[in-house]
Amino acid sequence: VSAVGAPDLPAEAFAVALASLPSMGPARLRTLLAAEPPDRAWERASRGGTTSRRDVARLWQRHTSLGIAVLLAGGPAYPERLADDPQAPAVLFCLGDPARLGTAPTAAIVGTRAPTRYGIGVAAQFGADLAAAGVSVVSGLALGIDAAAHEGACGAGAPPIAVVAGGLDHPYPRRHERLWERVASSGVIVSESPAGAPTEKWRFPVRNRLLAALSDVVVVVESRHQGGSRHTVDAAIARGISVGAVPGSIRSTTSEGTNALLADGAFPVCSTADILVALALSGASVAGPPHAGRAAPSPEPPRGIERLVYDSLTTDPSSLDELVRVTGIDLPQLCGSLERLAQAGLAHDAGGWWGRV
Amino acid sequence: LHQLVTVLRDRADWPPAPPSAARPALPAPPDLHDVRGQTLGRRAIEVAAAGRHHLLMIGPPGSGKTMLAERIGGLLPPLTTAEALTVARIHSAAGCAQSDGELLERPPFRAPHHQASIVSLVGGGSWSLRPGEVSLATNGILFLDELGEFPVAALEALRQPLEEGVIRVSRAGGTVTFPAEFLLVAAMNPCPCGEGVYEGACTCSAVTRARYRRRISAPLLDRFDLVVPLSRPDPDELLAGAPGEASATVARRVAGVRTAALERAAELELAPDASSLLASKLRAGGLSARGLHKVTRVARTVAALAGADAVSFAHTTEALSLRAGRAAVVT
Repeated sequence: VSAVGAPDLPAEAFAVALASLPSMGPARLRTLLAAEPPDRAWERASRGGTTSRRDVARLWQRHTSLGIAVLLAGGPAYPERLADDPQAPAVLFCLGDPARLGTAPTAAIVGTRAPTRYGIGVAAQFGADLAAAGVSVVSGLALGIDAAAHEGACGAGAPPIAVVAGGLDHPYPRRHERLWERVASSGVIVSESPAGAPTEKWRFPVRNRLLAALSDVVVVVESRHQGGSRHTVDAAIARGISVGAVPGSIRSTTSEGTNALLADGAFPVCSTADILVALALSGASVAGPPHAGRAAPSPEPPRGIERLVYDSLTTDPSSLDELVRVTGIDLPQLCGSLERLAQAGLAHDAGGWWGRV
Repeated sequence: LHQLVTVLRDRADWPPAPPSAARPALPAPPDLHDVRGQTLGRRAIEVAAAGRHHLLMIGPPGSGKTMLAERIGGLLPPLTTAEALTVARIHSAAGCAQSDGELLERPPFRAPHHQASIVSLVGGGSWSLRPGEVSLATNGILFLDELGEFPVAALEALRQPLEEGVIRVSRAGGTVTFPAEFLLVAAMNPCPCGEGVYEGACTCSAVTRARYRRRISAPLLDRFDLVVPLSRPDPDELLAGAPGEASATVARRVAGVRTAALERAAELELAPDASSLLASKLRAGGLSARGLHKVTRVARTVAALAGADAVSFAHTTEALSLRAGRAAVVT
């Protein structure tokens, strides 16, 4: 019976069809494919259903025409680092060259979808520095920290790796369509969801587990108390992957999660070098810290009244009221000095709140 | 009666009118004196009163938004007779005139609740078309507390009066045009949790924040020349700080600008460093063409309040700070 209809379909086609069945989660897929080859597993699972061999062919055709590579556990292209994973995906979908999953040491940079300027800056810097040091940046292409890290990493250097929750036929979130394309062309996007799969809620924690499994080290840049980064961290800890966190202000809700991680024993990440050291300790071969002399020449120190204003600024932004009270300078003069400091690159304005750069 | 008959027969002149009884002492608006700290907030209401700039205050609960709004009335000059007559006409059309027939001396202060119906805000009614809150606030202040909680339709209905100074109410029975020329003062929390004044303080999800921001449309936001971020005052200052300037002092400055200098203010030149600052903001995308116009207007008011001959760099940066709150509501 099995040869009738579409004799030339590869095993991957049946794996795609199996993964596309409704309510097919990674655990069930893994059990089914561990017991039988894909074509027989599909036959058994779809018995009594409405899908036919023609549907299998159509799904397969869709994936190949979209340029989505399908990797089966145990197959030749399947990434080596997932081979021993207790929850390794049975079927992995890739956009971009799957070989890029195994070429370089990997560091995940994850965090909140609503970061502060601080978090965005740090994530982008780590992304760029790690890529330049030959480390693939792994992230989830979500809003906020994830996107900032990949924006930084897409420039040059090691290929970026994105792990997404939904199918590879539709960029999600829509706002990141261009970033999605850049990552797909310079790196690789992987997912456990077949093309056309709806972006359901349960797929996100599942994605975070795969994200951790693909990384040699996980760094959380900013996260709230009960953020989604927690799933990634838990998955990393379960796999013995070291977790680092970027310390933040105790007044910032976006640093609650990361500061708590530090209290729980995550290693503090204060520079790219900290991540590279953690990678070296975890056994990955890294090129070494990027050359340190990259920082812009420090600007000339301000003088006079601007000096006074500058000294009263902290990296935590203060309101104008606070600055008036602390410096005793009247409002127009204060505003003028702040603007001059901003022009000199010494202060930044966050919606009427001013902080030191 | 005899006297009246003589007068009516043209045999005598009208006797002098009896001196009108001392006007009933209306409860004076609260004084600015009680506001401690809040340098930016105090400044914002002064500039709003002096230049008739619509003001939006954004701050967490307890940052003194309502307190400041209630004190703007005390900074405006008393109504002229013509203004007071307009106000009286509208109030009597609405059926809420002063019972003793006296003219109002202070600019009206209307603060409709955010659950008020649209008809009560803009005017209307089923058989007699009556003016609404926007008209009752003519020559005075319309204060909308919790701006984000007003129905979107009500907020959009404000756009015509804000542009034209009148409101047209059309019903099956006919169309009436009421005056609606007010100073709009609004207050809102930066986000539903109220804490998101600066980044990192808020506990709302990104989606909740975006939904809240969408309630204030960009065209409405553009009507506000001043969008001021407020913060809670420092406890020490609240308890032991020196009391601020009294309303009377500020009102004198405001009156000075509003009479002679207002026309002159429109002609104040921008200093070269001020205009190059604005040009650089414009190029960097931090300022739209409309925003540029607004900042310039506010900067001129600031300069006029200072009695300056030109708009300096500091005046311009202050004007920019007085609309910096936009960052909290614009994505």
